[in-house]
Amino acid sequence: MALRPYWKGYLKLSLVTCSVEMTPATSDSDKVKFHTLNRDTGNRVLSQYVDSVTGKPVRDKDEVKGYQRSEDDYVMLEDEDLEHVALESTKTIDISTFAPRDEIDWIWLDKPYYLTPNDKVSDEAFAVIRAAMDKQKMVGISRLVLGRRERAVMLEPRGKGIVLWTLRYGDEVRDEADYFDGLAKEKPEKAALPLIRKLIKKQTRHWDATMVSDPVQENLLDIIKSKKKHRGAPAPKKAPPPADDKPNNVINIMDALRKSIAADNRRSKKK
Amino acid sequence: MNAPRANWKGHITFGEVTCPVALYTAASSSERISFNILNRNTGNRVRREFVDSETGKAVEHDDQVKGYEAGNGRYVVLEPEEIAAAIPDSDKTLAINAFIPCDEIDDVYFDKPYYLAPQQSGEEAFALLRDGMKEAKVAAIASTVLFRRLRTVLIRPHGDGLIGTTLNFDYEVRSAEEAFDDMPNIKIDKEMLELAAHIIGTKKGSYDASKFDDRYEEALAELVKAKIEGKPFKKVKAVKASKPSDLLQALKDSAGTSKKLAGKPKSANSNSSRKKATKQSGSGSSSRRKTG
Repeated sequence: MALRPYWKGYLKLSLVTCSVEMTPATSDSDKVKFHTLNRDTGNRVLSQYVDSVTGKPVRDKDEVKGYQRSEDDYVMLEDEDLEHVALESTKTIDISTFAPRDEIDWIWLDKPYYLTPNDKVSDEAFAVIRAAMDKQKMVGISRLVLGRRERAVMLEPRGKGIVLWTLRYGDEVRDEADYFDGLAKEKPEKAALPLIRKLIKKQTRHWDATMVSDPVQENLLDIIKSKKKHRGAPAPKKAPPPADDKPNNVINIMDALRKSIAADNRRSKKK
Repeated sequence: MNAPRANWKGHITFGEVTCPVALYTAASSSERISFNILNRNTGNRVRREFVDSETGKAVEHDDQVKGYEAGNGRYVVLEPEEIAAAIPDSDKTLAINAFIPCDEIDDVYFDKPYYLAPQQSGEEAFALLRDGMKEAKVAAIASTVLFRRLRTVLIRPHGDGLIGTTLNFDYEVRSAEEAFDDMPNIKIDKEMLELAAHIIGTKKGSYDASKFDDRYEEALAELVKAKIEGKPFKKVKAVKASKPSDLLQALKDSAGTSKKLAGKPKSANSNSSRKKATKQSGSGSSSRRKTG
C-alpha cells in the first residue's frame, strides 16, 4: 500500500545533505473502526464547532488557531504562519551526535518511522550516510520538529533504509527506582537456576508475527458479520477466557519448576 | 514518596511457577502546546457540538451509539454490551508462552512500556525469572487482557526489575522490509564510505534525555511577537540537497573540518552547541558551506 509521506525534509551529516521523506511504521488504518450514529434516526453523528458566544455553527474555513496571550486575549495564527517557526529542525534532520545503539535503552523509544530518500539525486548521499552508520555500528541522534514539538530522534540503519525513532523527553519516563526499590537484594535460590535455564531453553522460539494477532478484532468482525446476516439475532456468547488455569499460589518454586519441565517433556514427546 | 499506584495487578506465570506482580506506567506523554480554536469572524472561542448529519439537530450523549459501516451508507449498530462480549474475561494472568532471543526482537512493534514489580511473596520467583532471562539474553512473550483488549506483552529484565512492553498488533505494523523494498540498490564508493565513517567517528557522543530541551514553544513565542509587531518572520536558511557530483568533495570538506573539531566529545543536547547553532557564527555545526 502506498502511504503518503508524513514528513518531507532533509537529512544532513556535516556538509552532506539529501532530501528525505518519512512515513510512520505503525498505523491503525486496518483496525475495526466505528462511527457514531444517532440511535433515533440511524444517521451519522458529526462533530461541529459552534461559536461559544453566538451559538452559531462555524464553517471550517472560519476556524483559526488562537495563541493565548492572556485570559480572553488571543492572537490568531494561520497554518502558514506556523511554517515559519524559526527552527532548522522543522526542515532538516542534522545528525549532530552518534552513539552505540545499546546506549539508548528501549524505554526511550516512542514512535518509529521509516526514512527513505525522496529523489534520485539523494539516493547516493542517503546510502553513504546509512552505510557509514552501519559500518561504525552507531545510531545518529538529532532533533526534529513533529506535531508542534521539537523531538529528540534516533536514526538507526536497517536494510537499505533508516528507522527513525522519536525519543521520549526526560520527564516522560518515570524513575525506575520508585518501582524497583529493594529488588537488587532479591536473589533466586542457586539450585533453581539450572531449572529456569532448562525451562527457558525449552520454550525459546523465533519471533513470529502471529504472536501479536488480535483475537478481539476477529471477534468483533464475527459479531458484525452475524448481525449483518440475521438482523436482531442475539449477541454471541461471551468469548472464553484465555486457556490458562487460574493461578494458585505456588509455595515451592523448585517443585513448580520441576513440574514445568516434566510437563514440557511430555508435551514435546507427544508431538 | 507514597507508593506509586498500580495500573494492573495480577500474576506472571512461567511453566508452573506463579508470581504475583503489579504493572505501573513507565512513560507518560507530556502535552504539546495547544491552541484554542477561534471563529475568525467574531474572534470568539468555539465549542464542539455533536449533531445529526441529516437533521442538523444536536444529539445527546445517551443517544449516540456505535455503528460499523457495512457499505452503501448502511451501518451495523453495536451496543456496548456487544462490544464487551468480544473481549475475553480477564484472568489477570500474564502467561509466558515463549521466550525470544533479544537480538531477534523487532522493536517497531513496541507500543508502551510498563514497570513490572513483584507483590508480596513473589520476590523470589520474580528474581528467578529476571536473572534467568538476563543470563539467557532473552525476553518473554506473554498475553493478557489489558485495557479492554487481549494484548501481547514483551517482558524483559531492566535493572533490578522487569519491563513489560505492550506490542502493536500485526495489522498495525508495516514491516521495514516492505517499506524499504522499493529503494534502489546503490553501490557505495569505498572512499566515500571511509570518509563518512570517519566523520561519524568524530561526532561520537552520548544522549542525555534530561538535558534535551524542546525549543518549539520559545520559537513560537518569537513568531507570535513578530506577528503582533508586524515584523517579518525570522528566516531559516534554505536547504539544498548535495549534488551527486559534489558528494565526494562535500565529504572531504566535512572530514577536514571535523578533524579540527575532534577535540572534545559533543553532546546532542548541550546548551552551548545550541547557542552556536542559532547564532550562525563561530565553529562547529555552523561552519557549513554556502549552498547555491
